[in-house]
Amino acid sequence: MSSALVIILACGAVNYFLRIVPFIFSVGDNIPAYLKRFLDYMPVAALGALILPGIITSFPANPAAGIAGAAAAALTAWIAGGLILPVFASIGTAWIVLQYLSF
Amino acid sequence: MKTEDRENSLNDFIAGARSAIPIFIGYFTTSVAFGILALSSGLTPFEAVLFSMTNLTGAAQFMAINLISSGAVIGEIVVSVFLMNLRYFIMSASLARKLGLKNNIDKAVISFGVTDEVFSVASLKSGAVSDSFMYGLQLTAWAGWAAGTLAGVTMGSFLPRTLQDAMSGALFALFAALLVPEIKKGYRALFLSVSAGVLNTMLYYMWHISAGWSIVISMLAVTAAGAALFRNEESSVEQGVEEAG
Repeated sequence: MSSALVIILACGAVNYFLRIVPFIFSVGDNIPAYLKRFLDYMPVAALGALILPGIITSFPANPAAGIAGAAAAALTAWIAGGLILPVFASIGTAWIVLQYLSF
Repeated sequence: MKTEDRENSLNDFIAGARSAIPIFIGYFTTSVAFGILALSSGLTPFEAVLFSMTNLTGAAQFMAINLISSGAVIGEIVVSVFLMNLRYFIMSASLARKLGLKNNIDKAVISFGVTDEVFSVASLKSGAVSDSFMYGLQLTAWAGWAAGTLAGVTMGSFLPRTLQDAMSGALFALFAALLVPEIKKGYRALFLSVSAGVLNTMLYYMWHISAGWSIVISMLAVTAAGAALFRNEESSVEQGVEEAG
């Protein structure tokens, strides 16, 4: 087995471990109100941390492409809703910035 | 009665698959980029596709191939992936609570398919979420991720370089588009997401904390503060109706 294959399978095991353990040892129904809010707020905080500074670091040579792309996605999502159109709007915008604007 | 149950399951499965179509597209385009980058990092096409099929994780896979190509040892890579994906533990805990699965096979399969986007769609869906809905949602998302890598390694370097580069932002477009409807609902989502993003940026640039750690710290710190700060239900009418219903 090549070392890359070992790494891939070890990463897969780690990811599955993190995902399955909470399903096996379930937290139960009567969790405190604070913990419930904590779990409810998690997705929104996660999305914020996943976007920033990821949009800047994802285009090291031209951070404007990432920022313009995400802005285009957010604007499209605000006006039209959905996820398909925002993703295409973002790819198109990032492509235009990468193609025609360099800093 | 039995036929009705089966029909309901099928309808839920289709509803799940349908709500995963945007995820499929977002995953596919991002995963094409992964396939192309994986080859340039020295993985074989088989290894790249296997990586996506067995791991089903976005940023951590990109991070792992970067580490592989820079000659990092296995322990380093595994620990980084563990830290970057600690959030799955919290997401799974939240989802397990919402889904309330009884069957062990359902638990084993559905837990495998927990991702940021699947979690967001399932946990933001109002009302009960059935196991059939989850299967439809997750199978479609997984297919998009696996097929994207396959397409990426097949296409190789045929794509124009600039278009390849533009695709690496597709994942963030997906995150942004998922966040916008939440922000429309009330100011809390805006406050929490911006705080987490700003804190994460500070941790990353000012204290040079690795991307995986800084995401975990930002999520935990902002959510803990938010849950302590916002004691009452959100005051907006829309939210109030939702909570009551």
